[in-house]
Amino acid sequence: MLWSRRSVFLGIVLGGPVLLAAALRLAVELYSRGFIRINGATVSGSGIFGLMIWLLYIRFIVPILGVFFGTSLIADEVDDKTITYLFTRPIPRGAVLLGKYLAYVVCTVLLVLPSVILVFFLIVPIGDSSVASAFPFLVTDLAMLALGLVGYGAIFAFVGTRLKRPLIIGLVFAFGWEPLVLLFPGYLKRLTVAYYLQALVKHEMPQDSAVSVLLQLFHEVPSVPASLLGLAVIVGLALWGAGRAVENREYVLEQ
Amino acid sequence: MTTRTRYFVIVSLLVMSVGLGSGMVAYYVGFPAGAFQGRGGPAELEYVPRDAVVLAYADVRDVMSSDLRQRLRSAIPMREDGQRELEERIGINIETDIQRVVACLYRETSTRPGGMVLARGIFNEAKIEGLMREHGAHVEDYKTKRLIVAEENHGVPGEFALAFVEPGLVALGSAGVVRTSIDLHQAGNNPQAGIESVTGNEELMNLVRSLETGNAWAVGRFDALSSHARLPEPVASQIPAITWFSVSTHVNGGIRGVVRAETRDDEAANNLRDVVRGFLALGKLQAGSRPEIQAVMQSLELGGTGRTVALTFDVPLQVFDVIHGLMKNGLPKPPAH
Repeated sequence: MLWSRRSVFLGIVLGGPVLLAAALRLAVELYSRGFIRINGATVSGSGIFGLMIWLLYIRFIVPILGVFFGTSLIADEVDDKTITYLFTRPIPRGAVLLGKYLAYVVCTVLLVLPSVILVFFLIVPIGDSSVASAFPFLVTDLAMLALGLVGYGAIFAFVGTRLKRPLIIGLVFAFGWEPLVLLFPGYLKRLTVAYYLQALVKHEMPQDSAVSVLLQLFHEVPSVPASLLGLAVIVGLALWGAGRAVENREYVLEQ
Repeated sequence: MTTRTRYFVIVSLLVMSVGLGSGMVAYYVGFPAGAFQGRGGPAELEYVPRDAVVLAYADVRDVMSSDLRQRLRSAIPMREDGQRELEERIGINIETDIQRVVACLYRETSTRPGGMVLARGIFNEAKIEGLMREHGAHVEDYKTKRLIVAEENHGVPGEFALAFVEPGLVALGSAGVVRTSIDLHQAGNNPQAGIESVTGNEELMNLVRSLETGNAWAVGRFDALSSHARLPEPVASQIPAITWFSVSTHVNGGIRGVVRAETRDDEAANNLRDVVRGFLALGKLQAGSRPEIQAVMQSLELGGTGRTVALTFDVPLQVFDVIHGLMKNGLPKPPAH
């Protein structure tokens, strides 16, 4: 999984924020004496870190890792024609899927969290923010991102085992359905991972575009226990559905 | 597990452990100012003109909500006339409106007398402007900012001005300094154009960077301070030649901190140490059998090397309780000889 063809893409996706943070820090130290000004107002390092968590990690990196790795848990084995070896083992097919899902969680957590930690230590000392005062936010962010990877991974594992063309459907779900539904008032947003995940974010939602302003306007925030329960239900249902699909589906390998 | 997967896991776990470990140390112990920051000091220093001779900072919210302040407030009813007067005259409540302040002092010259306070917090701009106008101030535009100018402050001649440099940041003080602060905000730090902030003043910034963590501090040139204090000539002449001073305190459950002085040469430092040592000995002698004073005296520690003289202190909250008790019941009579 870790050293698949997606590794290059993965490196760019996760190395990007670190490089961006390093370049920003360098520029700030060299040219602006430790401060960043936007429209004349000084912006703190923790503010920029919050912005990066929202725009890069929550809205892009976590869903995209979920889509690419979650949908490929079984699909890769089918493509490589190695699924027969797994399914002929004397263990339930659902256990194979669960094992691969846990491997996905460990791999993505070990990839994403160090990247966030590096960004934190590069960005937060900018301006007058202090590492000490922002540290509780980092811990919350790490836990929230890990939960996001768990949630999206389960959803896309289900999509990967149940549907044809899982990658396209996954991308439409993550970058079409979820942002769209969150824009409107109503109950549909409860059928998204982002709704529960965004309630766990402690940073202020950025107002970078008209869409963000609309998002903030209809930003319903469920309580933390309700969000955790919502995510647990989504993960449980998605993994149960994926397990059932793997148990019952007959995979035909193309010759 | 392949070798490169093993390396990947080790590197990932290493980054996470070091990152979280450092963060926890910073959170529980605290890093000295500048441990992660090359420039040091609060962001507001960007708007303080370069030639400041004294800089001070206070985390007002931290100090106001400290156990010490709450205990003192309930024990000793304080006269807060100054605080009330400030609220009546300019509509700023120190207790609720201000989060932190940075203050600076300048040498008195014809072009730039006095100083300035930069306060960050939540302010009602319309109320402040209205109150100041009621007290005779007028409003003028200065580089797109509204500058509220009063011709005299508490009977002291000279322009006093107030301006909102950016949302949530108010500058108040001598009009010339406030104008320069607005220049710094508009043009940024631009030494070529003659506009430079105090962050370019290496002598002062080195002192700021050397401070221990604390929620209130002050650094500056001692001669500027003594000239503002207008000490009598006989007293001033007895003080050894001090060039720079710094005070850093942490107010919470008591007060702990350090006072540092940098003298002109080693001899002056030794003289100053002797003077302080003499005062400490006198204090310990006076403390006698009073444990509350003894605790304070024992917390005082003289240190420093070369031209630096440092005095650290740690006054626990209990000492203030004892002092309050003494004030309430009257001082005990010294034993009869």
